[in-house]
Amino acid sequence: MTYVVLPNRWNLPDLGLGVGLRTQHFRYITERWPAMDWFEILSENFIDTEGRPLWYLDQIAERYPVVMHGVCLSVGSTDPVDFGFLDKLRALAARVKAVWLGDHICWTGVAGINGHDLYPVPYTEEGLRHMISRVRIIQDYLERPLVLENPSTYLTFAASSMPEEEFIARLATESGCALLLDVNNVYVTCRNHHLDPVAYLDAIPYEHVVQIHLAGHTDNGTHCIDTHDGRVIDEVWDLYRRVHERTGGRATLLEWDANIPKFPVLQQEVRKAARFRNGERTTARPVAA
Amino acid sequence: MNLRGAPPLETLERWMQAVVMHPDGATAGVQSRPARRLIPIAAGDLESVVLPSHSLTSVERLDIYAHMYYARLLEILVAEYPTTRQILGPDRFAHAGRRFLARNPSRYRTLNRLSEKFADFLTKSLPRNHRNGLAVDVARIERAMEDVFDERRAEPLTAAAFAAIGADEWQRVRLTTVPALRFLKLRYPANDFMNAVRRGGKPRFPRPRPTFAIVYRRGYQVYRRDQEPAQFRLLAALAAGRTLAQAVRASASGRRGGADRLASTLGAWFREWAAAGLFCRIG
Repeated sequence: MTYVVLPNRWNLPDLGLGVGLRTQHFRYITERWPAMDWFEILSENFIDTEGRPLWYLDQIAERYPVVMHGVCLSVGSTDPVDFGFLDKLRALAARVKAVWLGDHICWTGVAGINGHDLYPVPYTEEGLRHMISRVRIIQDYLERPLVLENPSTYLTFAASSMPEEEFIARLATESGCALLLDVNNVYVTCRNHHLDPVAYLDAIPYEHVVQIHLAGHTDNGTHCIDTHDGRVIDEVWDLYRRVHERTGGRATLLEWDANIPKFPVLQQEVRKAARFRNGERTTARPVAA
Repeated sequence: MNLRGAPPLETLERWMQAVVMHPDGATAGVQSRPARRLIPIAAGDLESVVLPSHSLTSVERLDIYAHMYYARLLEILVAEYPTTRQILGPDRFAHAGRRFLARNPSRYRTLNRLSEKFADFLTKSLPRNHRNGLAVDVARIERAMEDVFDERRAEPLTAAAFAAIGADEWQRVRLTTVPALRFLKLRYPANDFMNAVRRGGKPRFPRPRPTFAIVYRRGYQVYRRDQEPAQFRLLAALAAGRTLAQAVRASASGRRGGADRLASTLGAWFREWAAAGLFCRIG
């Protein structure tokens, strides 16, 4: 099938192929300045600290484009918006000249507590209206689009009245947020909920997608966990190729957060994406629900 | 009892948080008083809130989050308290860590302060014996190392700045210490113990002996070292904003030989502190 290629509505650049910046690679990167199109940082790792990581980050941000990706903005939480935290995000974004910044379509805590995990929101009209209003407040305050990622989910609320992909599509179009489409999360979520990942991808408004995530996961048989601890599997590469057919190229990032290998292994893995951008197919069987 | 109608978003979020943060897992969480106050259902009726999948029950799906909550945060404690864990042993450390996390959930966006009350928790919750006493002291040092790692930067005074202080000014001078400096009065020789562990040894648990340690950052490197009692008191007095004369009097009190004896060692102490970059301003 041939698709109409959709540029993103903000004309944010295709940064090419990048990897998540991790502590284990600070020294290697700042000693060798390896070939890498861009880096993504976990925002919270560089907030409320003036220690060595920030020193490394300052050097790296001088030489590579940096994107900020957070895990604790808690956009879906019913707690008040934490404007103090937004100030810190904004200051960090200015410091590293972040090309964009974002977080997840989730909540991470309520009643002043932070679980430091990506909890699913119920896909209800109430949940959607709540998130849209929060995204608008945050975007207005930060004066830039928020780039929100589909998380891996492990449960479904009985109250949910629409599929996740419809929730995400409506959230993006009605709030005006950008999307970070995590293709591995699409695979994991669809495996856990017995859904068709191709149908999921069909529902995504690609003009809102500015970034793509790739990662490995753990398949426990009964369910998959988004562990970021290994190579990208063929089924996920095939989903990535499908996304690329729709977008014509979006900034693509490999996440590897456990059993972290040496930097050249990350370079090698993320460079595979170039092959799938050229239409290469894997020998994996088509993914089905 | 089955749930009638969808609970409001806020109720659902508070309920899920109460369930997945329960230290005994999701089944206990569903049955806990905080969760039942929000959504009063029995474990058998859980499907009216969380759907099962083809392969997992509703409670098994919640347990994925419950397991990850403790696994992820315990991993942080393990990384921050390696020697405390070695003293207590992995199982006792994990048990204490889970109880700590259950009673002290994170209230911050970052993880930097997750364990700031961990040493106090160990003090209150562990039975009193030498092993646990040493573990508490080591935990205090390891926490201080985390604190100074993240602390604000300040350029240390140069040798030239010290040299510019006139001989007649020293008594009145106030020296500001760098923010990344912590003072620890300990009941055990915990710093020595940590050094022995770091050298790869398996040192015996020491008997109680009061020690005085400082933990600080020079550049981006974290250090810890013991101080003599008077040396510790003097530096702490300077850090509290006393003039050198006031600090000497405060630290010499009760010391045999008094201020005169202390004065003979001041030069060596200041050279040590200056080399460590502990002062950032003369004022």
